[in-house]
Amino acid sequence: MFCTITSGALLGISAYLVGVEVDIDRGLPAFSMVGLLGSEVRESKERVCVALKNAGLDIPPMRITVNLSPADRKKEGTAFDLPIAVGILNALGKVREGAIKDTLFLGELGLNGEIKKVRGVLPIVREAVKNGIKQCVIPKSNVSEGAVIPGITVRGVENIRELIAFFQEEKDQDNILPRILLETDDIFQKTEEEKTGDFEEIRGQENAKRAALIAAAGFHNLLLAGPPGVGKSMIAKRIPGILPRLTLEESLEVTTVASVAGLLKEGEALITKRPFQAPHHTISQAALIGGNAIPKPGVISLAHRGVLFLDELPEFQRNILDCMRQPIEEHQVHIARNGGTVTYPAHFMLVAAMNPCPCGYYPDKNKCRCTEVQVRKYMAHVSGPILDRMDLCVELQNVDIGRLQEQGKKESSRAKMLPASSEQLRKQVVFARKIQEERFGETDYHFNAEISAADMERFCCLGKAEKAFMEMLYHKLELGARAYHRILKVARTIADLEGCMEIREEHLLEAACYRPAQDYWKGI
Amino acid sequence: MRRYDYWLCSIPGIGNRSIEKLLGRFGSAKDVYTAKDGELAELLKEGQLAEVRNSRRNWIPDKEYGKLKEKGIVFLTREDADYPDRLMMIPDAPYGIFYKGALPSNDILSVAIIGARDCSEYGSYVAGELGRFLGERGVQVISGMARGIDGISQEAALLAGGSTTGVLGCGVDICYPKQNQALYHKILERGCILSSYPPGTLPKAQNFPPRNRIVSGLADAVVVIEARNKSGTLITVDMALEQGKEVYVVPGRITDRLSDGCNGLLKQGAGILLSPEEFLAEIRELWEGNRLPVKIERRNQSVSGMENPKEKSVLLKLPEELQRIYELLDYMPKSVEEIWAKLADGTGISELNIKLMKLCLMDVAVQESNGYFGRKAI
Repeated sequence: MFCTITSGALLGISAYLVGVEVDIDRGLPAFSMVGLLGSEVRESKERVCVALKNAGLDIPPMRITVNLSPADRKKEGTAFDLPIAVGILNALGKVREGAIKDTLFLGELGLNGEIKKVRGVLPIVREAVKNGIKQCVIPKSNVSEGAVIPGITVRGVENIRELIAFFQEEKDQDNILPRILLETDDIFQKTEEEKTGDFEEIRGQENAKRAALIAAAGFHNLLLAGPPGVGKSMIAKRIPGILPRLTLEESLEVTTVASVAGLLKEGEALITKRPFQAPHHTISQAALIGGNAIPKPGVISLAHRGVLFLDELPEFQRNILDCMRQPIEEHQVHIARNGGTVTYPAHFMLVAAMNPCPCGYYPDKNKCRCTEVQVRKYMAHVSGPILDRMDLCVELQNVDIGRLQEQGKKESSRAKMLPASSEQLRKQVVFARKIQEERFGETDYHFNAEISAADMERFCCLGKAEKAFMEMLYHKLELGARAYHRILKVARTIADLEGCMEIREEHLLEAACYRPAQDYWKGI
Repeated sequence: MRRYDYWLCSIPGIGNRSIEKLLGRFGSAKDVYTAKDGELAELLKEGQLAEVRNSRRNWIPDKEYGKLKEKGIVFLTREDADYPDRLMMIPDAPYGIFYKGALPSNDILSVAIIGARDCSEYGSYVAGELGRFLGERGVQVISGMARGIDGISQEAALLAGGSTTGVLGCGVDICYPKQNQALYHKILERGCILSSYPPGTLPKAQNFPPRNRIVSGLADAVVVIEARNKSGTLITVDMALEQGKEVYVVPGRITDRLSDGCNGLLKQGAGILLSPEEFLAEIRELWEGNRLPVKIERRNQSVSGMENPKEKSVLLKLPEELQRIYELLDYMPKSVEEIWAKLADGTGISELNIKLMKLCLMDVAVQESNGYFGRKAI
């Protein structure tokens, strides 16, 4: 008896369908599996046999052959347990005719017949819809992940016995394994923003907050420099909170990466919060970029559509940071390994924080006791190409406790001096984003930060007077070509924040103010 | 006995001008020491008064003066006969000076050699040659014992058997920079280490411009070997001119940024040093003809921590909205946050940033780094 069950596997963040072919025939009793299998897939037969036995099914002493096709792609993961079990059930005639037609199965089996969570459900279900599959049966703990995909019946299963009952029942199938339906709009509305801190909690540091606002509005990379304990991390952590909420499309992208990485929480259907990733500086290259024999997404992909925060930038190994150059430019990362080449999305906003010198107080020469040599040496730790890709740089100053308290008092008496809340800032960001959306229309761009040098003329054009002014700035501030474009892009964002169609002198000036100062970084 | 003068010169926060004021009012340092707080308050700011009171409490003049002697440091005030004549003549001459070794003689020609710390090979070669030449001929070489030109010329002068004076921006008991440790000890054997700061003072950035005025003050002529535009060396040159000293400059190639300052000075009419022999001959002539240096006709630019009439005119030229911000700036860079807090007139932070950048473009302010602005030296 031969049959084919549909299942799926991952390749990067995309998926492909796998046909699980099961044949049971007379011969010496044996269970053999083929199809370029990873060791966890090969172990599958033990789990399947015992789980079926414990579900009350006797496997007859016959020759069982399983092939996973396409047989030339390496198969990994435990999601094939369930389709193999279903194939055996079917070959043994335990499945009603037509019950598995156009149905995709995914799931890992426990020896007691329990069906466990697997990773990558979202992209596989999406691929199934594309291929005209009508129904999918997935582990109950993954069910919400699959249920957000429209156009397919999704059923969650907890135990192999449930499934056997389901296969035998003719009328009331929905009673045994109910269809799960999730409205994505509901998820978006219901999920309340998890409070991770608000900008209004930050006293002072208006300059840095302003830079953060501009960076968020144009999705620019941001560098925060300053002595320890001035609130660099505080500001960085609050940036996702002022970025616009994820759109459905973005959310699907983010959820897909999380699903592939197996990081979705049980019952979580869609990730609706902007990612915030803050890896420790000892992170390895594979963990940052993505890697393994069959590459898994790295931190930069988990930060897709969100913020990647690198605290203590000079402490990161230079060669590891340098790997981020290409992803920063291309917004995706290609990883070629023995197991295949995969591409993961990596469109993140890079926020980095660092002390300007070993003691942290440079250029406050009253406090900084570092010699020029020391400052340069410290700066030299930072990867130049990464610094080069920072659009906005801002320095924070120490606020002593006395001033913090005094400021608090002042603010209560002067309402207008109250620091802006994240909600207010987000409104401004959304406003600027809308203008960018309209501007870029059909082009590939989404944000000002992405504008390439070639398209600078088109999107950041200056009036005659402004052009002359910019030329003057160029010479006076001794800018390079990169810095020149950077200033234009940031000025574009500042103008957008004000709802101003043309870039004016003051926008250029403010953008120039946040440029990476050449003298400061001359040690590199 | 100068123990009360020593006390007066050692109070943190009391600069040369405050000392001047106090002595003008009370007559002598001892009278200042015994003066009532109320009387002092008329002349001093609150913070300074606190420092005076504090130091009066913790300072035992006899003991401290004894310590000074133990360390082999000599303390002189302007009232002492040994106080260098040349220094006496400069504006804002330091009231008290500390030194180790032997003071430069009033009757021997002395030349200051100054220049960049990160000098080029060319610069170090010229500095070495000139130092050796002057040292061989018994001319006293004055410099700041810094890295680069300063140290190289002084080292060469000593090697050639000459004497040299190193003027420090810290206490004379501290060797700064550390890598000149060997030079520091050699100078002590056959020259002088001098400072207007009491022993133990650390080399702070703000100490150096006042130090520079002593370097030029102790010399009859100043030779600039390599200097960038807007460098500290040029500040020294400005002070030298203010003091009426001869300024000689070693020309450089126009493509060398390290010679921009030098060539700029040449353009303004400074003397050219093409060969040490020629230079020495010219200076000797001036020296023998008239003991007082001859002033060069030149621009009246000056920079220092001292009263600067130029600043006033800059201020008046600025648009009104920028004036107040300019006033809040200082030569020591301040953070935008700090300027903003002081301004407190409802100006937004981005508006302030824009105005600060405008000041930078007008060449009256500098952006030290992202978020720090300072006044530009004029």
